Amino acid sequence: MSGALDGLVIVETAERPCGEYCGKLLADFGAEVIKIERPGGAPTRRMNPIVVGTSAVFGFFNTNKKSVVLDLANAADRATLDRLLARANALIDDHDEAWAAARNIGQAEVAAAHPHLVHCAITPFGQGAPAEWQSARPLNVINAGGWAYHSPSETPPDKPPLKGAGRFLPDYESGIDAALAVLSSLHRQRRTGAGQFVAISEVQVQVNRIDCVLDRMLAGEVDPSAERSAYDMGGPGTSFACKDGHVFLFMTTKVHWQGLCALMGDPAWARELPEDWLEFHCTPDRVGEFRRHFSEWARDQRKMPITEAAQKAGVAMVPVNTAADLPHNEQLAHRGFFQDMGGRLYPTVPYKMSATPVELRTPAPSLGEHDASA
Amino acid sequence: MPQPDRGGPLAGVRVLEITKVWAGPYAGKYLAHLGAEVIKVESMAQLDEMRAYGGVDINSAPYFLSINQEILSVQVNMKTEEGLDLLKQMVAQSDIVIDNIRPGAMERSKLGYEDLKAIKPDIIQCSIKMWGNDGPLGYQTGYAPCFAALSGLTALVGHEGETPKGMNIRYGDSTAGACAALACVAALHHRERTGEGQFIDLSAVETMTSLVGDSLYAWSVTGEVPAADGNFHPEMCPHGAYPCADGEWLSIAVANDAEWQALCAVLGADAARYPTLADRLAERHALDAEIGALTAGHSALDLGDRLRAAGVPAFRSASSLDLCSDDHLWASGGYRMVSDHRNGSRPIIGPSWRMTPDEATIERGAPLLGEHNDYVYREILGLPQDRVDDLIARKVID
Repeated sequence: MSGALDGLVIVETAERPCGEYCGKLLADFGAEVIKIERPGGAPTRRMNPIVVGTSAVFGFFNTNKKSVVLDLANAADRATLDRLLARANALIDDHDEAWAAARNIGQAEVAAAHPHLVHCAITPFGQGAPAEWQSARPLNVINAGGWAYHSPSETPPDKPPLKGAGRFLPDYESGIDAALAVLSSLHRQRRTGAGQFVAISEVQVQVNRIDCVLDRMLAGEVDPSAERSAYDMGGPGTSFACKDGHVFLFMTTKVHWQGLCALMGDPAWARELPEDWLEFHCTPDRVGEFRRHFSEWARDQRKMPITEAAQKAGVAMVPVNTAADLPHNEQLAHRGFFQDMGGRLYPTVPYKMSATPVELRTPAPSLGEHDASA
Repeated sequence: MPQPDRGGPLAGVRVLEITKVWAGPYAGKYLAHLGAEVIKVESMAQLDEMRAYGGVDINSAPYFLSINQEILSVQVNMKTEEGLDLLKQMVAQSDIVIDNIRPGAMERSKLGYEDLKAIKPDIIQCSIKMWGNDGPLGYQTGYAPCFAALSGLTALVGHEGETPKGMNIRYGDSTAGACAALACVAALHHRERTGEGQFIDLSAVETMTSLVGDSLYAWSVTGEVPAADGNFHPEMCPHGAYPCADGEWLSIAVANDAEWQALCAVLGADAARYPTLADRLAERHALDAEIGALTAGHSALDLGDRLRAAGVPAFRSASSLDLCSDDHLWASGGYRMVSDHRNGSRPIIGPSWRMTPDEATIERGAPLLGEHNDYVYREILGLPQDRVDDLIARKVID
């Protein structure tokens, strides 16, 4: 089967996970993505964990790509880049403006030399931001964009905001938006033959993801505040420890509550709460009281049997799955979400496409593996 | 009345969305913000809940207004055969159909992919569901925090040594919408090249799983199950949010010894106590406490300015108040004004991209229910006015 982007050629000068993820999304759709690496290799090749000399970070973010080593400060290599760009459809970069200008791959230079090209630049705050804002790490981006301050829900004021899952959560989000904007621009290129400059702001991606919560504050319908709970929904939903891990419970209605009570065997403490407390009497005191009792009950449960029983009872209680749980999940297995390549399990993509299924064809390239073809 | 020429890279692409709440409408919003003509199919009988939250007027509900800019609204009562027939006529004039309604509902209304393909052979249909469109758990429905817990993401978010609480409870829906939009545009490329449409089956749970892909892959390579680790980073230390005056926090990420020395110079600390990354990582809890004691009296904004001037990436952790009053976001189009039926104008959150040239204009706020009935029925479908009047009278258009 063919990929959705068969025939498209993308040059990736990006060196951070946000740009590399953008390139990976396009490569996994079938585009030919040529990763330009500095002599010695991309910085992600040195990120932990490193097993048998290979970084798992690089291994994940660079599937289906080609690797060509170029020193963009060197005139001959820079000319090679121009030859690659002349036959490419798009360029993905994630360096700051000064870096790009020093290598003659800023917005104006690329537009003048390659007017057909879609040129995407991902930066922390977008083009034109102050120079001292250009170096921002994923931790800084997720903090500047507001999600860290509000995560987890109900964080007390003396606990620090969190970076999110893993090291690169905002990079994934930026990579998705960059890939969407680039593909849209390439659609225009197909129809008009013309290129575009596409600037992505990583912080703006973060802000956009909370649109219907934050915008009500911008519009004055809800007061913005310095509260850590400003994004929260209230209610008893949260994670609870159980015998072999954790479960997450979400409850908003009388039906949920009745289902849960039945699941717990109708304990006496539950009868102390009004039947419709979730809808009409959901005070912090009651939430606290509920959680205290429920925690004691949950502590003796096992996460899979109890959540399976909960689903049947109409209760939205689910296991907090770990990396080791996921390959055994029957639904992910049914959909083929993980792909085995070389004895390693790669998570793939959340969209199954009937005509152009996404497929991992090649593992991340070795350094300069495709130098000859350039 | 013809619609304004908004430009943008997806100009000329028409999308029908049968969506509600957040993930589906967010996909529609993203495509509209890229220039596509996105028509939301609605009816009094099957209203998007977002039109009901936070008020009594379905045409000025805050949640709805916050998402649906540059969306057109057409009323169709999908509970009638005639309504479904009209909807199918719209499909025949569209490029993409997106839905996030209950599993099986589209198929029951004869709007499954095979049905739509019979109407428009090159249609692209995208279905957003909790677990995807089929499979052993495909019947389940749920809420974003449950998706995040199931996905493997929640297990990785929490303060060290505590129950992993996950990202804020709001996290997840919007990302699923963005991934749906991405897959739709990829499918447009395949159609442009080959003339073939397709069915896109998007899982909201897998969307969350994909956001921790490197952690899952690392487990497959090392066998070590990753867990919630606060702000730990194996290659940066200090790496975290540190307390400042007035309850504020400053994020600081130190990647090398030069940044470490610069941080110590600004804070008046002794860099020689922890000269290398290995030293700092070995004592990171004590180090975090020491750094926190030194940042505590400072204004997060001022200290961030001074640290960045010294070459240390440091940015205030933004509260909702900080975000709403952020000069850069207002000046750069991160926030912008659109039209609003009740108040004249309304601020909205702008897209994450800027395009030069030919960025799509974003000027119109969320639509009134049925605001574009005339455009859809008279211009796109070419129905005569008396037919439209009759359909309204019989509540097929409702």
